[in-house]
Amino acid sequence: MLNKSQVLIFALLIVFSSNGQEKQENDSIIENELEEVIVTGTKTIRKLSSLPLPALIITQKDIENSNSTRLPEILNEQAGLITISDFGGGEGIQLQGLDSQYTLILIDGLPIIGRSAGTLDINRFSTGNIKQIEIVKGASSSLYGSEAIGGVINIITKRPAEGFESDLSYYTGSNNTNDTNFLMNYKKNKIGFTLFANSYKSDGYDLDENDELNTVEPFKNYTINSKATFDFSKKLSIAINGRYFDQIQDYIASTELLGESSIKEWNLSLTGNLRSNDKWNNSIELYKTNYYANEYLNTTDGENYSSSFYDHNLMHIEFKSIYKTEVSNTYVFGLGYNNETLERTYFTTRPEFKSPYAFVQYDFKPKEKLNLIIGGRYDSHSEYKSQFSPKAAVRYEINDQAVIKGSLGYGYKAPDFRQLYFNFNNATVGYTVLGYNAVSEVLPQLVDQGQIANIVVPLSEFSNKLQAESSIALNIGTDVKFSSEISSDFNLFLNNIKNLIDTRVIANKINGQNVFSYYNINEVITYGLEINSSYKPNNNFKLSAGYQLLFAFDKEGLRAFNDGEVYARETPVSPAFQLKKNDYFGLYNRSRHMGYIKLFYENYESKFNGNIRLTYRSKYGLYDTNNNTYLDVYDDFVKGYVIADLALNKEINNYSKIGFGINNVFNFKDINNISNISGRIYYSKINIQL
Amino acid sequence: MKTMKTIKFLTIALAMTSFVACDNDSDDLLPVVSITVEDIYAPQEGGQGQPISGAFTKFDFDLGMETDSETDWDIAFRATDIIINGGMSMGTTDEPDRTGDAGAYIVTGTMADVTEVDVNLFTQDSGSGYAIMSGSGNGWYTYSGPPTYLITPTAGKILVFKTADGKYAKVEILSYYQGAPENPDAFTDPSRYYTFNYVYQPNSGETTF
Repeated sequence: MLNKSQVLIFALLIVFSSNGQEKQENDSIIENELEEVIVTGTKTIRKLSSLPLPALIITQKDIENSNSTRLPEILNEQAGLITISDFGGGEGIQLQGLDSQYTLILIDGLPIIGRSAGTLDINRFSTGNIKQIEIVKGASSSLYGSEAIGGVINIITKRPAEGFESDLSYYTGSNNTNDTNFLMNYKKNKIGFTLFANSYKSDGYDLDENDELNTVEPFKNYTINSKATFDFSKKLSIAINGRYFDQIQDYIASTELLGESSIKEWNLSLTGNLRSNDKWNNSIELYKTNYYANEYLNTTDGENYSSSFYDHNLMHIEFKSIYKTEVSNTYVFGLGYNNETLERTYFTTRPEFKSPYAFVQYDFKPKEKLNLIIGGRYDSHSEYKSQFSPKAAVRYEINDQAVIKGSLGYGYKAPDFRQLYFNFNNATVGYTVLGYNAVSEVLPQLVDQGQIANIVVPLSEFSNKLQAESSIALNIGTDVKFSSEISSDFNLFLNNIKNLIDTRVIANKINGQNVFSYYNINEVITYGLEINSSYKPNNNFKLSAGYQLLFAFDKEGLRAFNDGEVYARETPVSPAFQLKKNDYFGLYNRSRHMGYIKLFYENYESKFNGNIRLTYRSKYGLYDTNNNTYLDVYDDFVKGYVIADLALNKEINNYSKIGFGINNVFNFKDINNISNISGRIYYSKINIQL
Repeated sequence: MKTMKTIKFLTIALAMTSFVACDNDSDDLLPVVSITVEDIYAPQEGGQGQPISGAFTKFDFDLGMETDSETDWDIAFRATDIIINGGMSMGTTDEPDRTGDAGAYIVTGTMADVTEVDVNLFTQDSGSGYAIMSGSGNGWYTYSGPPTYLITPTAGKILVFKTADGKYAKVEILSYYQGAPENPDAFTDPSRYYTFNYVYQPNSGETTF
């Protein structure tokens, strides 16, 4: 048995034997917690703790400790965020009850494209070179324009830091999943450079052994990301960033139809910063990105059965000036231009979107404890109605323990290329889907060809432009520090969305099928409460918990239930009865309750850390199973579930670290309903500083 | 016990019927009839792009069963199409001539909700369409499409008919599959078998059920 003094000596020995690096790490942890800064909320550097908007930061340390290799893994562990798998196989994020196409995804502040089926598959993003992930909730089009309805997720990657280091890590896990990262950093005086290379391969997995297809087919992908920075003087600096992503996956439709799907994506940016004096800071972003996806199926004798491609380009320029007054009030002025083109199968044209825009924001403190932000952005657009997106936010410090904050903003999502220009004819079934702008050209052609029996929606209805989907979002919250160990934040949110775009039949064809097109119809409302709490009894333990209560309804559904127009049956063959107002469950794929509990343990002396993370999602519905067009409490639901993850990490010496863990410890699977949860995963990981 | 309950129920039902009857100031009214009809088979030939043909299966509310009569029928079924013995033929192959004065409309509600016929709502079959409109979501059923391909009677759709000889009936269709299985499977359960509840008012001129 060791006595107290022996323990003390032992501990002291460890402390003394460790080099300065560890101390540095400790310092930076403390510094991080005091000075967590976020740029996404205001396009200026702000302390997270003083931002009047609901926001959160996921740090590099959070990612490392939980051994996440891809973005969805870490996002799924946050309150009110969940990744939903899309029928196209992609995984997108649901935020405050809004679908993935309504959350803007940025890397280093620049927009990412590639929503070939509407969803931006965030499995594309490796976490290997992420410095932090910034998430701002609530409509943010006042700074970012289209897509920022639910909020903004900004992935901040590592920038060159003083010194030279390189780092190699290797992860291997169930399903023959291998993730290899190489990271190099160099910075001396004025020149900095980083290189990041990632390879990610997996055999995929199969939840249902009874069919010939895998749930996720084998794939491999590579990411290369490099940055160079030049600090010409204290005032002037530029950065060049290049990223390339390449993925190949088996594409199997049946035993007779086999092929491949591939994605190639690149981004290139040049950013410059000129700090003219203490007051003015000017910056410029030049950015170009291309996303190319392509897939094919061949028959067993090598004949091509089908193939399609999707080629999306975005060019973006933005000038931004930040002006700080003596009393540290801040103005932000911005001017920009976006140019997008898309070429793809099922388009007759190569459409081009041009949109110049301007924004302004004033961030000020009329009183010491009161902070206000007002701002707005105007987007002019070549293909749909121009948008003005205002926003206002307020934060007030009641006392040292509590602050209240609130924000009100407008968000919108422009109609996408598919909704405007699609010209798709299903050869086997015989229906046709036309984009809104394609109708007036293509429908008369179909009439001339004698394919149309009856026009349901007159052509004149397509003379006006399709409206952008838009939302007004309200967030009201409070941050409370109950003691030095316990703190909580609460946020009530409301998103009131109109002009959602849906499809409808616009003409009947003589073959008995229909012609569909897009139109503005639905009004949707989502509201709820989010709570995040953390308890830190000492430096070694941290317990955090989060919860989101969510209600998400189609307003037409609310009206129909309220007026008693919706009916259901107990069993498919029993007599129908009228549903009550409370029987309306709401939108598909939304859980009323979601939450997490995480326990982190860190032992600085033995350089060990471990954690257990539980995430919960309550029941939700995927389809209207009783044919009354709404999801009601008599429909079939997907059962709620808990996922438990366990991670252990240990530093062997100054140059190497090992990790081990189990994701989905309880081996939860739902073969029929959930394709993106694979069952239990064992993994191990090694990290070496070269 | 079960028999007791049934008898009790029948007594109450009869009492209520006679109450309704008394209410109508008449001594010799016939009782309102409430029946469940099972597995009326309504085949068709063709379809899926081919011309549709095949005899309609005719039904008489008064008889409470299928009929082969050319004139004495109220409604008729062929696959998902329901026609009435009133109005004009659409002219499809094997479609019977209309000899009566039947009418129909669809109302949203439960069977119990529909207590009175609104005679202003009746329409008849015509050259451009049937009174009970065909197609998923238009009339009495909803087609789920892939992956289940099920035809389900839309909950809350009550079909109100005027019979060929001017009496009234209300119908709730329950199933389109043989034996009215609780969890029908479009791939294994034979379809085009109608099971429905109906309430028939056998007294001329009576518009309540």
